[in-house]
Amino acid sequence: MWRLGLAASAVATMAFGQAFTFTIGSPVASQDSRSKMAAFVFRVEGCAEPASAQVGGTAEGLVHGARTSVALKLTPMSRPGVYAVFPTWPAEGDWVVNLNGTCARERAGALIPIGPGGFIRVSSKFLPRPATAPEIDTALQTLSQGRHP
Amino acid sequence: MTMWNRHVSGELAAYVDGALTPRAARQVELHLAKCTRCRTGCDHVRSGMAMVEHLPSVEAPGAIWVAIEAELREPRPGRAPASRSWRLALAAMAIVAIAGFAAWRFAHPPGTRWEVRRLEGAPAVGARSISGVGRVGIGEWIETDSRSRAMVTIGEIGSVEVAPQTRLRVLATRPDEHRLALARGEIRATISAPPRLFFVDTPSGTAVDLGCEYTLNTDEDGFGLLRVTRGWVSFQWNALESLVPAGASCSTRPQIGPGLPYFDDASDAMKEALARFGLEKGERSAVDIILAESRVRDTLTLWHLLSRVDAGERTRVYDRIAALAPIPVGVSREKALVLDPDTMTRWREELAWTW
Repeated sequence: MWRLGLAASAVATMAFGQAFTFTIGSPVASQDSRSKMAAFVFRVEGCAEPASAQVGGTAEGLVHGARTSVALKLTPMSRPGVYAVFPTWPAEGDWVVNLNGTCARERAGALIPIGPGGFIRVSSKFLPRPATAPEIDTALQTLSQGRHP
Repeated sequence: MTMWNRHVSGELAAYVDGALTPRAARQVELHLAKCTRCRTGCDHVRSGMAMVEHLPSVEAPGAIWVAIEAELREPRPGRAPASRSWRLALAAMAIVAIAGFAAWRFAHPPGTRWEVRRLEGAPAVGARSISGVGRVGIGEWIETDSRSRAMVTIGEIGSVEVAPQTRLRVLATRPDEHRLALARGEIRATISAPPRLFFVDTPSGTAVDLGCEYTLNTDEDGFGLLRVTRGWVSFQWNALESLVPAGASCSTRPQIGPGLPYFDDASDAMKEALARFGLEKGERSAVDIILAESRVRDTLTLWHLLSRVDAGERTRVYDRIAALAPIPVGVSREKALVLDPDTMTRWREELAWTW
């Protein structure tokens, strides 16, 4: 049975021409005025039924040298598979948004650093699985040391 | 006594309303020609009616019809005909009442009156200075001098901060249309409402809120700048529309309207070329620079440029966008070059993920 699922997943991937992943953008990309106050928006890609993809995440922070984690507020927008991420993390400290998702049997993850001017697109990382703890720590250290463009 | 010898107060309303027969109207005119008192009365009726014509129509409450029907059903004893002077007095009272109400309404415009709060100095609403909190209604001006600032509450959808040296007029306060006219100066709007409920007219463009925060300035000739900090604004003038997202700006010029929107972090060379674009001189070289200087997110500018150049130039613009961002499914070169509306919308929505 799992072979059948795997085959179906492979067929879906081929049909869409890409693996399951996320695309991020500024709030205006959602074409939904409710996202105005969001930190950023994202959409699921390579998923046959974007609305059925399971998405979640946390904001991972480094505040006064201490690691902390805050639940994310993901709000579905009017278009299927598009979500707004509203800032639920404090202003102080360095923060990286850790997204993860599942579509059928596929998984995806993303690490999006948050700078003073908002999300840092060029330093964001997109993974075919949820980010690991060391990957999150590295992203936070890079952010806190100001090594992002 | 013939009509031109007796006063015509009782006929004035019908005369002004055009309800008299030609013969009766001619008799009123003959009398008015030689009677100062009736001419003055006629002027009052005319101005009263003019004001009444501008009043909004209001539906009568349902209860009034019940009362009228009850009154009609009730048998009435025979009434003695009212005397002529009694009817004249009633007509005069009605005219005075209508004129009085019209004058009151003229002084107190209909519609919601928005709160105006002084932030600094002595902003004015009409001729009145605001020392704390005041109100502004349709047709009234808010004016600040070089040391004044004010905050206007826009119904229940947001607020507008009025910068010094600004003249701003309220045009509509309806729930489905909140509209201001910025004659000169600068405002900062913060709106939390569904799109297309808040509008600001300037001499060379109208800013249509699509869920946003922005600053807008203009001089009296119509040279202005829109800068968006959150959401989108549609900047429109005649058939021209510039969609300006957060982080971008758009200038506007008299007789030309909104220019090409651009991100605030665009290169100086690109901004200088955008300032020249739309003017007859140097159009071609301006396009060359805009294309050369564009980054991925500057596809915002290029997407707008497509519809503002001739067909020959359009190919170059299309190719530049295609080199910066993959052409999405549903967008074909052929349709994009003829500016097919669905194709252009699809393309813009996809490009917006890079803005």
